[in-house]
Amino acid sequence: MDGVVVRFTVNGEAAAVRVEPDWTLLRALREGLELTGAKEGCGAGECGACTVIVDGRAVNACLFPAVEAEGAAITTIEGVAAADGSLHPLQRAFLDSGAVQCGFCTPGMVLSAKALLDRTPRPTEDEIRTALAGNLCRCTGYVQIIEAVQAAAEEMSG
Amino acid sequence: MARFAYHRPATVDEALGLLADLGPDAVPVAGATDVWVNLRSGKLAPRALVSLRAVPGLAGLDRSDDGLTLGACATHAAVEDDSWIAGRLPALHMACSQVGSRQVRNVGTVGGNLCNAAPSADAAVALLLYDAVCRVEGPGGGRDVPLDGFFLGPGRTALAPGEILTGIRVPVPRGRTVAGYHKLTRRKAMELPILGVGVRVTLDDGGAVSEARVALGVAGPTPVRCPGAEAALAGGPLTAERVEAAAETAAREARVRDSWRGQAWYRRHMIRVLIPRILLGC
Ligand SMILES: Cc1cc2nc3c(=O)[nH]c(=O)nc-3n(C[C@H](O)[C@H](O)[C@H](O)COP(=O)(O)OP(=O)(O)OC[C@H]3O[C@@H](n4cnc5c(N)ncnc54)[C@H](O)[C@@H]3O)c2cc1C
Ligand code: FES
Ligand code: FES
Repeated sequence: MDGVVVRFTVNGEAAAVRVEPDWTLLRALREGLELTGAKEGCGAGECGACTVIVDGRAVNACLFPAVEAEGAAITTIEGVAAADGSLHPLQRAFLDSGAVQCGFCTPGMVLSAKALLDRTPRPTEDEIRTALAGNLCRCTGYVQIIEAVQAAAEEMSG
Repeated sequence: MARFAYHRPATVDEALGLLADLGPDAVPVAGATDVWVNLRSGKLAPRALVSLRAVPGLAGLDRSDDGLTLGACATHAAVEDDSWIAGRLPALHMACSQVGSRQVRNVGTVGGNLCNAAPSADAAVALLLYDAVCRVEGPGGGRDVPLDGFFLGPGRTALAPGEILTGIRVPVPRGRTVAGYHKLTRRKAMELPILGVGVRVTLDDGGAVSEARVALGVAGPTPVRCPGAEAALAGGPLTAERVEAAAETAAREARVRDSWRGQAWYRRHMIRVLIPRILLGC
């Protein structure tokens, strides 16, 4: 395979992936680096299952050209828990609030919520709904997810 | 998906050079939220993409007393997060804040919204209210194109082959101004509008409308202004009768159609409803 090598950091570690020009960041993460937490649902920006954080911003990795990730700092769901395996307050709250059923949307939900809380530690319910509007869940009905983000925000800002 | 080369020029000149060399098979790309969807569906099959994302300065916002200059690659999120814009150009702020989802706004650009030239483009309708001017660079040099003359048809703009949009100048209205953008949708997010309605009136010291702009999305082949409705608003006070008369004129001027998202009669009716709602809050 020819292609080009893209270098970035994922979850704090330097990575180099050989990609084709028509690869998305999602494919580079899943196939190149075997980070399969980010999911492909629609592949068209509609569902948010592929959400990752690039330079502090939640993006749809399915619409993000892999070569544009050059030099970026990327966070995927694999990097949200602490190094010792202890869960991030958002992950804990999702479990405790019953915000996870099948789990397909959960990585994207957690990363959209994390991008919000990193910028806005005490969001209003409206701000949470706006931040999660691009993440579809077919199971939970959303209420528990919003409650989970509220609980995590409260815990984190003490 | 078709194979293509992906170029990431570091300057506008380098981008123009690549577009000139590669010819019509090369497509400029900014946030890729429209381009990538079209690549996937096969609607677009270029030999090369020329990305503008790595060009420094193209993503900036420049605020001054007389207006805002948006780099063509400024994102909808950058507008959404800017309180200066929210205060002075509220209709633009409302439009950009309602594009897609936060993930789409974090990469999708205002320039891409204009160049994509969809009849439903939210930011385009808002920018028509503020007499925005597009800065275009091409092989033959630079030129300014008023946004009012930028859209030629669905997906077609005044950009000549090899030209790119580099910036958008948005004057801040002088005088007491009421402006808003209403995106009519079935749900609150992740939807293209059934209808987009933008209105701005600027008043003189005596309370008469000195400048009026009415613009619509999904009411014709491109985002459009409504000259008849603007004339009906200008030159007198902002009374309920005058606003309703202007709304009626806009509803008659609009070239609405039936589509799966909504029917022509409904779009026409909602133009009558939403123009007074924006201007009079009723
Ligand atoms: C899930 C989803 C939801 C969306 N929701 C909305 C919505 O609610 N409202 C809305 O208006 N749009 C919506 N869009 C469409 C899209 O996100 C916007 O139009 C966005 O502003 C496009 O910007 P971009 O930078 O991603 O453009 P790109 O995809 O990079 O480019 C779009 C077009 O413009 C051209 N182009 C881009 N920049 C330049 C330039 N500087 N010079 C010359 N040509 C250029 C490209 O060649 C292409 O033809 C949505 C898209 C998705 C995927
Ligand atoms: S897979 Fe990316 S938004 Fe659905
Ligand atoms: S938990 Fe199943 S899609 Fe959200």
